[in-house]
Amino acid sequence: MNHNQQSGDAKNDDDSALSDFLASLMDYTPAIPDELVEHYLAKSGFQCPDVRLIRLVAVATQKFVAEVASDALQHCKARQAAVIKDKREKQQKDKHLILTMDDLSKSLLEYGVNVQHQDYFADDPSTGRDPASREE
Amino acid sequence: MKKSKSKKQSNTQQEATNVEEFSFNITKIAVSQICKSVGFKRSQILALETLTLVATKYLEALAKSSVSFSNAANRTQSNLLDLTNALHDMSQVGFRGASTLYDNNCLLKSSVLEDLSAFVSSTAEIPFAKPIERAKEREMEKVKASTGNLQRGAHIPEWLPSFPDVVSNEKCNKRVNGEELWENSSSVLGCQSDGFEEKRNPGKLAKERARVKFRINGGGKRVQLNGYSGNNLFSQTKDEEPEAEYKKPIKSKENQNRVYKRRKL
Repeated sequence: MNHNQQSGDAKNDDDSALSDFLASLMDYTPAIPDELVEHYLAKSGFQCPDVRLIRLVAVATQKFVAEVASDALQHCKARQAAVIKDKREKQQKDKHLILTMDDLSKSLLEYGVNVQHQDYFADDPSTGRDPASREE
Repeated sequence: MKKSKSKKQSNTQQEATNVEEFSFNITKIAVSQICKSVGFKRSQILALETLTLVATKYLEALAKSSVSFSNAANRTQSNLLDLTNALHDMSQVGFRGASTLYDNNCLLKSSVLEDLSAFVSSTAEIPFAKPIERAKEREMEKVKASTGNLQRGAHIPEWLPSFPDVVSNEKCNKRVNGEELWENSSSVLGCQSDGFEEKRNPGKLAKERARVKFRINGGGKRVQLNGYSGNNLFSQTKDEEPEAEYKKPIKSKENQNRVYKRRKL
């Protein structure tokens, strides 16, 4: 009985926290406009009359993009920290925070998306091998 | 290669030719704003477009898995639980409590939702760079206020007949949940009682038909109208001539009286 009461209280707390969160969603305007999110949701067959769920999807996508971008920023800063030669370059470092494909592909790889560029393409499987080991 | 992330309009933007390009361009603006808020000053064009594409795919994948969760539960509209399950599926890096996901049967306590709520409270709002035109409210189609039409929506044309009344089917061989074949359902059976005779002989007219006759100008000429021929409507024949189609012998006086009565009407 006590356990049920405790779980009931816990559920009430969670429900109130969740309803507060959903209410706060209406105050928060996501970076992705609602109409755009509705377009993509309709394209995928998502039907929901509740606006808060649409905001939730927008916030989830924004969080995902922000995480990927911040990971790429970490990669960019780590690369620049390794290349410091003069003190003048430290000041130039702040101006050159550029999102490159290199950093982006590394950060997306952690999230399961493979956008790596191939270094080179060869016309033969044996290209680049030691000539002694090539089978002719 | 490098595009400035400032809010000045770029000269390299092209006008969208179709819906996908249009939505993609808008998403690109939003994604670039998010990247700017994270700390980037500039970006390669290809990197920005790749990130935008990944964001759209993420959105669509969230929606699709949420829809499949709700469809698996016999629902067409998704709710918060479907969305939470979809978020769990989409998380690649894992979240707290992922190993004991269904132990306490409480999906709403998920740490994914807690992370999202922390993100909302900690991150400042990013207003969209370009002004958004709000969609004008469509004018409600006025449905005629007839009793039958109030029930069905505007998607059914006016000239279609109303739905038949549902007649309770009282056969003894019924399933537990009331399931039955569509052909035996009450809505189909209700239709059959109206045109039952027509369905006996589909497309064929009755063999025995009364001959239709009428007089022109009340004079001596009597014109006989064949029962079923449409082309040769008027043919002068005498009553005494035998006609193979009609089994019953024709009595001329009675026919005249019949014709007279018809003309009165």
